[in-house]
Amino acid sequence: MYQYTQVDQQIVNERVEEFRDQTRRYLAGELSADEFLALRLMNGLYIQRQAPMLRVAIPYGLTSAQQMRKLAHIARTYDQGYGHFTTRTNLQFNWPKLEEVPDILAELAEVQMHAIQTSGNCIRNTTTDHFAGVIEGEIEDPRPWCEIIRQWSTLHPEFAYLPRKFKIAVTGSQQDRAASQVHDIGLHLVKNAAGELGFEVLVGGGLGRTPVIGKVIREFLPALDLLSYLDAILRVYNLKGRRDNKYKARIKILVESLGIEAFRELVEAEWQFTRDTELKLTHAEVERVKAHFTPFAYAADAAEDTRLAQHLAEDEAFKIWYERNTRAHKVPGYRCVMVSLKPQLGAPGDITALQMEVVADLAEAYSFAEIRSTHDQNLLLADVRQADLYQVWQTLSEHNLARANINTLTDMIVCPGFDFCALANAKTLNIADAINAEFEDLDYLYDLGDIQLNMSGCINACGHHHVGHIGILGVDKKGEDWYQITLGGSAREDASLGKVLGRSVAADEVPRVLRVILNTYVELRQPEESFLECVRRVGLTPFKEKVYAADH
Amino acid sequence: MPLIINRQLQNVDPWTRLQSVEGESLSWPETKALISGTDWPTWAARCPAKLELGVSITADTTLEDLTPWLDRLSLIEICFEVFRDGRGFSLARLLRRAGYQGELRAAGDVGQDRLAYLERCGFNAFVLPEGRDPLQALAAFEQIQVHYQGAADDPRPIYRQEA
Ligand code: SF4
Repeated sequence: MYQYTQVDQQIVNERVEEFRDQTRRYLAGELSADEFLALRLMNGLYIQRQAPMLRVAIPYGLTSAQQMRKLAHIARTYDQGYGHFTTRTNLQFNWPKLEEVPDILAELAEVQMHAIQTSGNCIRNTTTDHFAGVIEGEIEDPRPWCEIIRQWSTLHPEFAYLPRKFKIAVTGSQQDRAASQVHDIGLHLVKNAAGELGFEVLVGGGLGRTPVIGKVIREFLPALDLLSYLDAILRVYNLKGRRDNKYKARIKILVESLGIEAFRELVEAEWQFTRDTELKLTHAEVERVKAHFTPFAYAADAAEDTRLAQHLAEDEAFKIWYERNTRAHKVPGYRCVMVSLKPQLGAPGDITALQMEVVADLAEAYSFAEIRSTHDQNLLLADVRQADLYQVWQTLSEHNLARANINTLTDMIVCPGFDFCALANAKTLNIADAINAEFEDLDYLYDLGDIQLNMSGCINACGHHHVGHIGILGVDKKGEDWYQITLGGSAREDASLGKVLGRSVAADEVPRVLRVILNTYVELRQPEESFLECVRRVGLTPFKEKVYAADH
Repeated sequence: MPLIINRQLQNVDPWTRLQSVEGESLSWPETKALISGTDWPTWAARCPAKLELGVSITADTTLEDLTPWLDRLSLIEICFEVFRDGRGFSLARLLRRAGYQGELRAAGDVGQDRLAYLERCGFNAFVLPEGRDPLQALAAFEQIQVHYQGAADDPRPIYRQEA
């Protein structure tokens, strides 16, 4: 993974001292609350319902074992012993003390981490496919490009006060596990007819109050032109994006109102000024960054192991976990191991300090000391020898990290909702608990196959409900929590927005309604047809009829 | 209000501010006239040639509005009405890219924590809001010493700079 140079370290260190000074001035009353707000947001610090919340950047979801141990240490020392992984693959601490945040940032800097630009109206953490570099059929590993974007966007002097936050995702294969089509900019690594590397560039995707699928602004951007083109898009947006209404300030609204053609013309015109300047990447710089992401020294004889076959034959629970929570690796004899942060009891994406340490130890012993956090709020040990899987599973099981539910209904994406978030309309964690209680029978879940359930506590859509196969949105009706249900969304390469099923339902009705929806699917499905395919084929009407049958 | 030019605190501002009011004529100063108000082009056209001319604008003004005047102007002041409005950062870069070499001032809601960013975008002068400590503000330029990306101050990203 990327290792800081002296320059990277200096930037992070200076930033810590700068924020220490800003915090001091704020606490001394020299800096207004409003002004400090913009500054603390740029350092990942929110004030939430209960306490401040600090969001630590995990660039493109990659952490070392050492960094994970540091996060565990911070959780224990400065927080209540746990953290929460977000869909931006970042980690949130829910209970830090404002005056201790500079110390936390200093601790992070010791392990090449920071919280820069994890909030505020600036360019946020760039995300990517969590299987980057380890799956078959990839055009190229997207992570070096993410790192290049990270460096370019970090403390960018011109793009720190954009109309609204700005999110970029990069994919390296035909498959999209980074929800790139619902990002402000989605970048897809592609090759042109001449075999040259470049990007297909999408712009103006997003969720929130006005969900939109991104549009292609450029079918092929030569790879070395990446930053000059991003610069052009950002400058047009910074100058022309709306600033009078925060719900209309994202780039998607600008693109929609101008139309993609007119927007493209503006960007291309701006780009002509910069494409052949120092913004053009050099081969040497790209190679320098790529050198940090070379494949590990995989054991040539890993596939000769026979223990895996034996354990699979002997231990049914292990076999189920293996089938559900591990994925193919491009190197024979290795597997990718999903670490489920979706236990039966507990908030999706939460992880205790001890669990962080357990995962760090496992990574060190079995997966080249690296851990990835995923868009769907799980962790991944990407490079585990098959011979070690049994041991890894046993340890994960002991620590409640091996629930064999990856990609099933209970592998939900859920935002923290009303329990933590000051913007929420409704609770989400109690609904997640109720769903876990209603659908604890794993055999039933396996029979249902892959289902992505996404839930948000308000229209800001941090839980990506629009693009869940099943989406749940908390709404406030006269002080009570109600839930609107959508069906048919997808964040993958076949991205689509879910459609509203009908009137919203009360909190205690959600599990029953889900049960009816799933039973309807089981009745209607054709052989091998997934939930999403079925919804797309039959439409919402049959589901609507069953769910609201009692109303008639 | 404290004025910093090229990282130096100034004792006096040599410019005379002229607020144009509709229907009334301006009385021109001896040397340096700084015009504000949306009808500044009208007044700029009438400005005696022997005077140095400056304009004070908001980010609603575009590069295209200013282009015909760039050779005539020796001061452009961009007023930030609220600090969240980041258009001025990009406008400054466009002005420098268009070849404007005169004084580029940031005024309005200019907190010390934005000074270094503003400078990197091409501003060389800053009017701080009343009551701010100018010495602390001067220190703010030095807080972050290295930069990944190029900007108006130095177009080279870090990897293109000599070690
Ligand atoms: S979706 Fe709403 S409730 Fe959930 S985290 Fe985002 S802002 Fe908070």
